[in-house]
Amino acid sequence: MPDITLILLAAGCWMVAAVLPFVPPVKEGRLSTVVGALGSLLAFVAALHALLSGHASHVDLRLWLGPVRLEVDALSAAFLLPLHLVAGLGIVFGLEYWPANLAKGFGRSLRFYFGLLVTAITLLFLLRNGLVFLMAWEAMAVSAFFLVATEHHHPEVRHASWIYLVCTHTGTLIITASIILLAHRMGGFPWLPISGAAEDLDGWILLLAVLGFGFKAGLLPLHFWLPAAHASSPSHVSAILSSVMLKTGVYGVLRVSSLLPTVPAWLGGALLALGGLSAVYGVWNALAQRDYKRLLAYSSIENLGIIAMGIGLGWTGRATESPILAALGFGGAIFHVWNHAIFKSLLFFGSGSLLHATGTRDMEALGGLAARMPRTALLLFPAVLAVSALPPFNGFLSEWFLYRGLFASLKGGYPWSAGLALLALVLTGGLAAVAFARFYGTVFLGSPRSSAVDHTHDPSALMLGPMALLAGLTLAMGLLILPLLPVLDCIIGLLAPSPGGLSAGSLAAPLASILGRDLRLLLVLEGLLLALGGLGLAWLGGRKVRAKAPPTWDCGYAAPTARMQYTGSSFADGWALALPGVTRRVRTIRRLFPGPQTFRLKVVDAVGDGMVVPWFGRLAARLLRFRRLQPGFLALYILYLLLALLAVFLWLLVRGRFLA
Amino acid sequence: MSPDFLIALTMLTNFTLVATSRVNKAIQLVVVQGILLGLIPIAMGLGRHLHILFMALSAIAVKGWLIPFLFRRALREVHIRREVDPYVGYTMSLLLCALGTGLSLVLAHGLPLKPGTSPTFLVPAALATLFTGFLLLVSRRKALTQVAGYLVLENGIYLFGLLLVEEMPILVETGILLDLFVGVFVMGIVINHIRSAFDSTDTRHLAELKD
Repeated sequence: MPDITLILLAAGCWMVAAVLPFVPPVKEGRLSTVVGALGSLLAFVAALHALLSGHASHVDLRLWLGPVRLEVDALSAAFLLPLHLVAGLGIVFGLEYWPANLAKGFGRSLRFYFGLLVTAITLLFLLRNGLVFLMAWEAMAVSAFFLVATEHHHPEVRHASWIYLVCTHTGTLIITASIILLAHRMGGFPWLPISGAAEDLDGWILLLAVLGFGFKAGLLPLHFWLPAAHASSPSHVSAILSSVMLKTGVYGVLRVSSLLPTVPAWLGGALLALGGLSAVYGVWNALAQRDYKRLLAYSSIENLGIIAMGIGLGWTGRATESPILAALGFGGAIFHVWNHAIFKSLLFFGSGSLLHATGTRDMEALGGLAARMPRTALLLFPAVLAVSALPPFNGFLSEWFLYRGLFASLKGGYPWSAGLALLALVLTGGLAAVAFARFYGTVFLGSPRSSAVDHTHDPSALMLGPMALLAGLTLAMGLLILPLLPVLDCIIGLLAPSPGGLSAGSLAAPLASILGRDLRLLLVLEGLLLALGGLGLAWLGGRKVRAKAPPTWDCGYAAPTARMQYTGSSFADGWALALPGVTRRVRTIRRLFPGPQTFRLKVVDAVGDGMVVPWFGRLAARLLRFRRLQPGFLALYILYLLLALLAVFLWLLVRGRFLA
Repeated sequence: MSPDFLIALTMLTNFTLVATSRVNKAIQLVVVQGILLGLIPIAMGLGRHLHILFMALSAIAVKGWLIPFLFRRALREVHIRREVDPYVGYTMSLLLCALGTGLSLVLAHGLPLKPGTSPTFLVPAALATLFTGFLLLVSRRKALTQVAGYLVLENGIYLFGLLLVEEMPILVETGILLDLFVGVFVMGIVINHIRSAFDSTDTRHLAELKD
C-alpha cells in the first residue's frame, strides 16, 4: 500500500478516536486510546518508510474548490514523524494523566479536540493546495484553542486561551495574505514548485510567510501568547503543542520557501539574527520562571529560535549557492525539530507526572523529589541534558551542525548575522544549562519545601512507559547520527535545489570527509564519556558505606530547616536580575536585631507583557470609537446594508458611464 | 392584462405601503403585492412552462394565504393596530420612496445587464421594490411592520429573478420561496420573544441586547 494511503488511514483512525469517547458504552476512553495509538503507529511507519525510501507518493482529489493534492514527500514525512511519535505517546500518557470520566475534567472534549488536532496537523503536512491548507490550519488552531481552554473554570486559563486565539487568528491573516500572493505568483492555489526567474514578489511572499508562521512558531516579538497557553493546558497537550504545533510554523516557512525559485539573501541573514535573538530571549526568561511549565514553554521559544537560525543559515546558503551552508543549516534545523520534539515532550510528560503527583506548578514548593519519585527523576535526567545541548544526547548534535555552519559562514564572508548568531548560540547553550540545572536541582534535589511533596510517588507504567521510550530516543538519536545523515540529505535536497548534503556521497569530497571524520571522533569521545559515566556509577553503587542523610546543606547552622536551602530563584539570581522585566523589592536591613522582612521578586515578559500587550491596549482604546457604529438598532444596521448596496449600484453606474 | 400594468400596480402598492400607518392595511397591501407578483409570470405568457406555472401558483399560495395567516395570528397576539412614531415620518417616507423609484429608473438604464434580457419595466420595478423594502425596514419601529418591509424586500428580489425565469432552474425559485417562509418564521419568533421579554414589540428594545 502506498504511504499516503496509510497516513490518510491514520488520520481516519484519529478522527474515530476523537469521536469514540462520545459513543455511549465507551466510558473510560480506553478504546479511543487504542485506536489513536494504532493510527499513530500506522502513520509513523508510513512516514518512516517514505523517508527511507525517498519516494514521494500522492493522491489527487477533486473538491469543489478545484484539484487538491495530498502528497507525502521527505519534508512532510520529516514533520509527520515527531507528530505521530508525540501524539501516540501522548494519548497513552493521557489515559492515566487525564481520565475521560473525571468529574469536571472535561475529559471527553479533551479527547475529541486532541484527535481533531492530530488529524488537522496530519492533513496540514500533506496538503498541497493553499486554500485547503488554510482550512486545515484553522482546524488545527481552533482545536488547539479548545485544548488550551480545557480547564476553563479557571479565569487565567480562559485569559490565556483568548490571547492564543487572537494571536493565532492574526497569524492566519498574515498567512492568508502570503498564500494569496503565492497563488497570484503561481496562477492558482495548487502548490507546484515555481521554475524560472525570481521576481520581487518572492521576497514579499516569504517575508509574510515568516511573519505569519512566526506567530505560530513563537519568534521574538510574536511569542507572548506562548508561555501562558502552554502552561495552562494539560501536560500531554502542552507536549504536542510545544513539540509539534509550533513546528507547523517551521513547516509552513520551509514549504513556502521550497516552492519559490530563490530566497533573497537578506532574508536569510535577518532570520538568522531574529532566531538568535529569540533563542537568547527565550532561555533568559526561562531562567527567571518559578512555574516549571512556563519555564518549559520559554525553553520552546529558545529552541524554535535555534531552528529559525538553522533555516536562516540554510537560506543564506541557498541564496549564495553554498551547498555546505544550506546542508548544515537545513540539516541542523530539521534535526533540531526532531530532537526538540523528543526531549521537550519528555520534559512536558515529566512535568505532567510532577503536576499529577504534587498538584502545583510552583517550583519553589517542591524539592527532594528524587527520593520520592526516583523513576521520574531518572527519566527526566536525559531530557535535561539534551535540552542543555550536552553530549552524548541528541540536542548537542543539532547545535553542533549549526556551529559548524556558522563557522563556515563566517569564513565565507557573511559576518554580521553569522557572528551575532554564533554569539547567541553560545549564550543560549550556557543559559539553557543553567536554567535546567536550576529546574532539576530545585525540583528533585534538596529537601522538600512544602507539604505538597508529602505524599508523592511515581506514576504507573502507563505514564512512565512513554517517558522511558522518549528518554531512550534522546540517547539513541545522539549516538546513531551516522545512519541518519542520508535521511537528512533527502530532506535537504527538497529544501535546497542545488546539490548538497551532509553524507559523504553528496557533498564536495573534502568537506564531507572532514565532517564525517569529526562526527566519528565525536562519537568515540561520547562513547568514552558514557563508559566513564557508567564506571563512575558502578563505583558509586558498589560502595557499601551509606552516609546518613543530613539536610541538604546546613550552612554550619545548628538547627537547619528546609527553608534555608537554595531556592530556584536564589540560584538564578545573578543571571535573571540582569533581565529587563524582573523587578525585585527588598528593604535594606539597618538595625542590629531587625524585625521580619519581606522580599518580592516579580517576573514579567519584557517584550510581551511589557511592550506588545500595552500597545494592543492603546490600539483597542483608539478603536473603541468605532463602537458608535454599533448602537444596537436593527434598523440602523439595515441602513448600513442599504447604503452599501446603493454605493455598489452607483459605482457600477459610474463605471459603466465613464470608464467603459 | 399586460405585465407592464401589473408592474405599475406593484409600484403603486409600494407607495401606498410607505404611506400607510395601519398595520392591518400594510399586511393587506403586502398580500396584494404578493398576488400581483405571482400573476406577472403568467401575464408574461410564461404559463406554458409547467414549472413556472407551478412556481407562480405556489408563490400566490404562500404570499396570499400562508403569510397573511401567520401575520394575522401574530397580530391577534400582540394587540397593535398602528405604527405610532416611525423613525421617518410618512410624508418623508413617501418622498424618499419617490426618490428611490426615480433613482432606480435612472439606475436601471445604466446597469450592465446581460445582453438579450428584455428591456421592460421589470428592472426598475425590482430595484424600486427593493429600496421600498429597505426603507420600511429602516424607518419603522414595530416588528410587524419590519416583517412587512422584509417581505417587500423579498418581492423585489423575486422581481429580479423573473428576469431570468426562463433560464433559472426551479430550484432557485423554490429557494426564494423557502427563504421567505423562513424569514417570516424567524421574524415571528423574534416578535414573540421581544414581546415576552420586554412586553412590547418595539424593536428599540433589541438595543439592550448588544454587548
